[in-house]
Amino acid sequence: MNRRVFLLGASGLAACTHDRRPRLNVFNWSSYIAPGTVPRFEAEFGVRVRYGLYESNEEMLARVMGGNSGWDMVFPTGYIVKPMLANGLLAALDHTQLPNLAQLEPRFQQPDWDPELKWSVPYMVTAAGIAYNRKLDPPPRAWADMWDERLRGKLTMLDDPFDTIGAALKKLGLSVNTGDREQLKRAEAEAIKQKPLLRAYLNAEVRDQLVSGDVLAAHMWNTTAQQAMDSSAEIGFAYPLEGYAVYPDCSVILRESKRPELAHKFIDFLLRPDIAAANALAARTTTTNAGARKIFPVEFRNNRTLYPAEETIARGEWAKTVDPDSQRLRDRMWTEIKSA
Amino acid sequence: MKRLRAWFLAPSWTVMLSLFLFPMLIILAYSLLTRGTYGGISLPWSVESYQRFADPIYLGILWRSFWIAGASTVISLLLGFPLALFISRAGKWKNLYLSLVILPFWTSFLVRTYAWMFLLRDTGLVNSTLQKMGIIHDPLPLLYNDGAVILGLVYGYLPFMVLPLFGTLEKLDRNLLEAAADLGARPWATLLRVVLPLSAPGIRAGVILVFIPCLGAYLTPDLLGGGKSVMIGNLIQNQFTTARDWPFGSAISLALMAIVMPLLIAFVRRDEEGLL
Repeated sequence: MNRRVFLLGASGLAACTHDRRPRLNVFNWSSYIAPGTVPRFEAEFGVRVRYGLYESNEEMLARVMGGNSGWDMVFPTGYIVKPMLANGLLAALDHTQLPNLAQLEPRFQQPDWDPELKWSVPYMVTAAGIAYNRKLDPPPRAWADMWDERLRGKLTMLDDPFDTIGAALKKLGLSVNTGDREQLKRAEAEAIKQKPLLRAYLNAEVRDQLVSGDVLAAHMWNTTAQQAMDSSAEIGFAYPLEGYAVYPDCSVILRESKRPELAHKFIDFLLRPDIAAANALAARTTTTNAGARKIFPVEFRNNRTLYPAEETIARGEWAKTVDPDSQRLRDRMWTEIKSA
Repeated sequence: MKRLRAWFLAPSWTVMLSLFLFPMLIILAYSLLTRGTYGGISLPWSVESYQRFADPIYLGILWRSFWIAGASTVISLLLGFPLALFISRAGKWKNLYLSLVILPFWTSFLVRTYAWMFLLRDTGLVNSTLQKMGIIHDPLPLLYNDGAVILGLVYGYLPFMVLPLFGTLEKLDRNLLEAAADLGARPWATLLRVVLPLSAPGIRAGVILVFIPCLGAYLTPDLLGGGKSVMIGNLIQNQFTTARDWPFGSAISLALMAIVMPLLIAFVRRDEEGLL
């Protein structure tokens, strides 16, 4: 580094500290936005955005739990909204500042985790299903197919207690959200029965092994599956016949935020159909925005992994907040499954 | 003079108090509280978390962790001792070899663990090479089992075994070896009855530096074990994330320390008494 570069950098640094534009601090999941979205918001509103990334709800919660994290906005999954509210972390939304709320799909207008959208606005949505190699004939269609002996050693389930116990519950025709002890025990027995067939419990990292052919069928989120399908034509995705869990990620404003108006502006900006469409297209995810879907290119709108048909959507079940007692039971079961 | 000493010690005391003792006290307090409805902690005080840990299923996980950490330590010692001996005799190449031992630390442990996954998987380098050479037909199940976990741990912590061993072996007085030879000891006898006892402090340091982190490992069992079985580190991690049970997680951490500490102290004490 010569002196000129150093001086340039130093003056740049000085310029930063003199930047009087208000700053919005946005903490979002990784790969969940188009590259142009934030610059466009900054230019249009004359503000700066500090945009941070996280990989799991737990990671985000750990940061914001204390109440002075420095973030204004985060994107918890629906079932995390209630716990965040109970811990006094959320600021109420002012709908008069969110004229684009009407752009949401009807099924997201009154979601059961926040029926009046008082605390959260659905942003993107994910679902857990089965990604498989098209070599498999017949291809898996149901959770029951994930207990098939032909998949021995070539099968993975998600390394997540809610998802994997949920899959076993669905196989039995039960709700993923059940708190019933006897139903949960039956699901545990199913999971233990399946374990000898499993190659491993893996999350997103299974994608590469599915593409390489090490794994033939994987319990996977549809957005991760889409990434695998983008890199290999050999991969397919099925929404299991028995039903499946759906995870909506929502924009919320933290109570600690000192710029709630600006945060409202950003939420409303994300709700604009053209912005929502650009984000979903770039991230290859499922938007909650009906207006955006109308302006999608046809092949993206007809992508059945991200935008399943109505009758498929009807089989989905919202993942709900698990109450503390059954949470403890589920954790105990998960430990038993892992130790089996 | 005394006051001066106190001033010079102040920084280390501050570090000890703020980075070690204070966090420990927080964990102790957490472990004695009740879990909050959605994570966090709340009153009343209770020892329930400790009672829960006495459950056979959790003790089984503890036993498994000891077993895997122990196996990794023994293998590290068996591999590390000859390596350290070799380096200590390498003359002018010594520094080069030492840098090579430390070199892996230049990249993150996570990345190196992923590299092992690429080597070990069914379509990975090891299996495809063996298949091309016609030695095996179907890929060997190298990944996602206890063997892979132990391999990953040995790989990750071997330098911690080699460095202290090298330290003691390098200081070893060559005259003693010559004396042993003059007195008729064969090389093996010299190794077992002279070199080994004299390098005991290095062995002890290496064993501690490898065993303790292996016992608490959670990344390696997750990535190379494929999450099919848990070690105590994974159990603790789960309590702070998906299970939202901070008091239980804190209690397991402290219980683990309470079990390991006496063993550790006993192990170090032997050194002072010169028993080994």
